[in-house]
Amino acid sequence: MSLVIETSGLTKRYESLIAVNNLDLTVKRDTIHGFLGPNGAGKTTTLKILVGLLKADGGSVSVLGQELGWDKPDVRLKIGFMPELPKLPKHLKGRELLDIYGRMYGMTKEERNNQVPKLLDMVGLKERGNDFIGKYSKGMQQRLGMAQALLSEPELVILDEPSIGLDPVGMVEVREMMKEIAKEGVTVFLSSHLLHEVQQICTHVTIINKGVAVASGTLKEISAKVKGPMTIEAEVDKLSKAVIKKVEELPFVKDVSQDGKKLLVELKTRDDVRSQVSQAIAAGGGIVTSMNLKGESLEDVFMHLLAKREEKEASK
Amino acid sequence: MSESRPSWITKFLAVVRYEMFWNIRKKKFIGMLIVAFALTTLVLALDHIANFFGGPPIEPNPDFVIGTNVGLGGFAFFLFAIVTVMNTISAEFESGTIVPLLAKPVSRTIVFLGKLFAAFLTLLATYCFLMIYMAIGGFVVYGPQNNLHLVPLSLLGALFSTFIWISIVLLFGTLFRSSLIAALGPLGIWFGTNIIGSIIGVLAGQGWIFTYIPGTGNSGYIGEPSPTGMGVAVATGTDSIGSNLINYILHPSWEVTYYKINIGEIAPGQIPWEKLYSEPLSNVVLTSIAVAVIYFIVFIGISWYVFRRAQITE
Repeated sequence: MSLVIETSGLTKRYESLIAVNNLDLTVKRDTIHGFLGPNGAGKTTTLKILVGLLKADGGSVSVLGQELGWDKPDVRLKIGFMPELPKLPKHLKGRELLDIYGRMYGMTKEERNNQVPKLLDMVGLKERGNDFIGKYSKGMQQRLGMAQALLSEPELVILDEPSIGLDPVGMVEVREMMKEIAKEGVTVFLSSHLLHEVQQICTHVTIINKGVAVASGTLKEISAKVKGPMTIEAEVDKLSKAVIKKVEELPFVKDVSQDGKKLLVELKTRDDVRSQVSQAIAAGGGIVTSMNLKGESLEDVFMHLLAKREEKEASK
Repeated sequence: MSESRPSWITKFLAVVRYEMFWNIRKKKFIGMLIVAFALTTLVLALDHIANFFGGPPIEPNPDFVIGTNVGLGGFAFFLFAIVTVMNTISAEFESGTIVPLLAKPVSRTIVFLGKLFAAFLTLLATYCFLMIYMAIGGFVVYGPQNNLHLVPLSLLGALFSTFIWISIVLLFGTLFRSSLIAALGPLGIWFGTNIIGSIIGVLAGQGWIFTYIPGTGNSGYIGEPSPTGMGVAVATGTDSIGSNLINYILHPSWEVTYYKINIGEIAPGQIPWEKLYSEPLSNVVLTSIAVAVIYFIVFIGISWYVFRRAQITE
């Protein structure tokens, strides 16, 4: 699988602050790659370097196989970029903006006439295309920001916090949109601090903190880096000693404890064994009303990796 | 999408289009145009108004259009420059619209030149409109006009004069990324050079310095001696390129004479002028054009350099 983004030793300083510190990042083609980190981790700075808005102080950057130089715009022909809370010129109408940006990509009149209405329709702004952007709500501007990022049928779409500022319905729509464009063979690289968002749509993740990549890989690969125990937490009706005994007999169970109606099962494995545990509870006469596997969520992994990093820094 | 790379002219025209939409939709620009139109109308109607209130009857004046430099003067150039470009770069930074714009496959040089060209087109259209209006109005009010073929020189001079201020406004806007500073900085320079500077120049006799500074420049006197014995007052700076060019075409042998006021000899009802030196009008015209071009190139060059290297932290 070829790489669409490759950075090596990427460094960016703002006076005494090191925003990005020796970052090695690879994004494979045809993936949805999440760039995860807390606020101020260096995500936006990295993205801005990738699209030529900021100049790196050190390291190398290659995007779509081309070395990134300062003010060399041709590499951006195949990149779509949506900034965080995109600020679009309010004096233009939605349709005019897409038309002008299309001209900047060198799209012919015919291409613009096809693509602009299609994208406005896709982002739900078909009826508002002739309105001034100044009259758009924040969510509508966000959706227009998405449309302009997809205008040139890019090979790579870079999205900075794409669902920030959106209502829950808007968030779901944007996520569906990202999945759709990925299906069409576009590589999506998105920054987010919303763990569940990344977990829902990304195939690959890089976690960054204080400008340093903490972990990178598929979700499973990253989860494997966490060595802590996995726990199943189940709400069980008719919870009895027979149920507990049945669960304890399972070979991958380390320990079982009860807290009212709640059954806590500590596991020796990191595999998802919820169905086996559920069967054992049923065999003991219990009825499962809810069940969660704790320790597999990206949030747990994220917090664990960040804590580990903090410990490492503190011990220096 | 087509696989061929777009030519620089395609991208350049896209930026011009982007900027023109902004220029013609700016409320302050529309307001300025209305004010300029109203003032031009007032200049044309002034004698009629005076006549209505018992003033002298209107006499035919075949030199009205050329004599008034088609109605455009120093502060108008400055104001048009401010209104046209005070937001051109700074507001892109202030509003954050610079981020999606520079993320497009267009070089910063093309963005910069496209914006500058859009300002040129906006001013060209505005000045053409005002000058045509003034020429027709002059014909209607004061009868047939002489030397109307020289009106394009006024247009050329007006563009030269405005573009110096445009380069200064752009420089402030690019350096400070603030529309307010882009307007106030040049305003300070305008006041400094045109008002305070002129006063100091006349009183201290060092007005020649203002030949090399944008604006009104040094004050001199041309033509036949006037009743005061000094001729007709003219400004020799970059704001007067148009009128001086026309004067030179009409009177190529004219000289400009400079004076100072001897403060120590001031007596009631008497201004003690002292003649300093004279130079051909051709020198004045050439110097002011050279000053305009040099300032424009230097200021625009610095703005372009700063813009091209700007880190977009917005």
